[in-house]
Amino acid sequence: MMTGMWALYAREVKRFQKIMLDTVFSPLVNVALYLGVFGVVAGDRMVDGISYLAFVYIGLLSMMLINSSFSNPSFALIIAKNVGSIIDLQLVPIRNWKIGIAYALAGLTRGFITLGIAVLATVWFIPLHTIAHPLPLLAGVAITGIEFGMLGVAFGFWAKSFESLTILTTFIMQPMIFLAGVFYPIATLPAPWNIVSQFNPIHHNVNIIRYAATGYSDGSVMVSAIVVCAISALFFALMNFVTRRNLRMQ
Amino acid sequence: MHSLEITNVTKKFETPKKDPFIAVNDVSFTIEQGKIHGLLGPNGAGKSTLISMICAMQRPDAGTILVDGASVTEHPTEVKQMLGVVPQEIVVEMAFTVEEVLYYFAGMYGVPEHERGARIREVLTELDLIDKLKDRARNLSGGMKRRLMIAKAILHKPKFLILDEPTAGVDVSLRQKIWALVRRLNAEGTTILFTTHYLEEAEQLCESITLIDHGRVIKNGKLKDIQQEFSKNAIHFELFDRCVPHLDGVTEVGSDYEFPMTDLGRDMTALTTHYKGNIKTIRSESASLEQIFLKLTNNSNV
Repeated sequence: MMTGMWALYAREVKRFQKIMLDTVFSPLVNVALYLGVFGVVAGDRMVDGISYLAFVYIGLLSMMLINSSFSNPSFALIIAKNVGSIIDLQLVPIRNWKIGIAYALAGLTRGFITLGIAVLATVWFIPLHTIAHPLPLLAGVAITGIEFGMLGVAFGFWAKSFESLTILTTFIMQPMIFLAGVFYPIATLPAPWNIVSQFNPIHHNVNIIRYAATGYSDGSVMVSAIVVCAISALFFALMNFVTRRNLRMQ
Repeated sequence: MHSLEITNVTKKFETPKKDPFIAVNDVSFTIEQGKIHGLLGPNGAGKSTLISMICAMQRPDAGTILVDGASVTEHPTEVKQMLGVVPQEIVVEMAFTVEEVLYYFAGMYGVPEHERGARIREVLTELDLIDKLKDRARNLSGGMKRRLMIAKAILHKPKFLILDEPTAGVDVSLRQKIWALVRRLNAEGTTILFTTHYLEEAEQLCESITLIDHGRVIKNGKLKDIQQEFSKNAIHFELFDRCVPHLDGVTEVGSDYEFPMTDLGRDMTALTTHYKGNIKTIRSESASLEQIFLKLTNNSNV
């Protein structure tokens, strides 16, 4: 029943809207601070024909999108486990995979809203006047948001406590985001790190979004598109597996 | 037609020891459509495990559970749609108002958007919670939170309502309101499964009961029949004039007299013929559910 899934989605969207200051404006402050620092440090530096500030700007927005999409479902589920309201998800007549999708879509929505507000607030200071490929940009943002929303659902169901979620975020997600070519082209890294970075899935999300926004590509866009689709399918399977394990009849 | 058919259901849990713990052991009973059924038993008897299996939250290791003919294990989503469940523990959404909690929860059960507002107001009015519509759910008192949980369970007008100790920790007046609501829902055709530690509550509400202990059914059937079975088979009566010769078998019990009963009609005729107009009051004594419960479970932990 689609109505049930959409009601759950709407509830999860409403949840982050209740704490907009924390969920939306806090990442915005982060991006603004990063841009301030990089703007001063980078000056007029260029990366393969685009300004470094524009390069890092798209990287930062991608990072924000990934963080928002991931943290929305993961924290909502951990809170539900802690207060016991997870029982609602076991009682309602919604299939397990739809419950996962509802949470992942809410994550994507938060990512979109956060991204939109951040762009509106900061784009005026960035030397980026046109979007190279608008539709692929929209698709890249959507697939990245849903991809990390699904990962957030899997983490949220899997993690037993806030501590385990924090450990996962600090020791896995954040290093992967920072080593994904957000702040630098990975081609400039010495071997073997430039090769290793190719295996970081987040690099491919950043690469697609940056290519669609600026026309600059940090490696093959086709390879990045294939990797992003494959990883999304993998995260969908992982989300289903973990959701089923947690919500199925034991 | 049965709303619930439980057949030979067993549920075991692994324990650190070698032997698994058998929470529910070969349980069978049925609930007729449109009835209020009490599921009673001491703490740890297996009531909540059984309820979580009926709600498709746990899978039986053996046996079948049918809700309105649908198998809980094969069609869990369809079964969940038919159920309204008030869990034992009070759990509320921290971030939302009472209205929001109900609005989204009703949506999850497929209640159309345009009907939700009216339904929410109707249910909250009945539960005396309408003035809390815009309040944060987490700020409600314990009794109000309990009512909110009942509201969540009945918003989608379930065919089958499961109340797991709905009156635990609520005051007398609220308990009366919950009883009235249960009776009203039942009168509208909702089948109700009710667990409670207040046995007088089960006596007041339930037409039939299942008594379980150590995971096994120890008594099941209509409450009247069970009470009859456990009643002392005796007639108690008072006389205007106590200085009369007594019928064989009559003994004095305080200010009353007791006459052992084997056949109600024959014994009453014998009694009234012998004492004629001297009988002041007459009654047969039925056992209370509490007496039956204690006798069967040999347990005072009620």
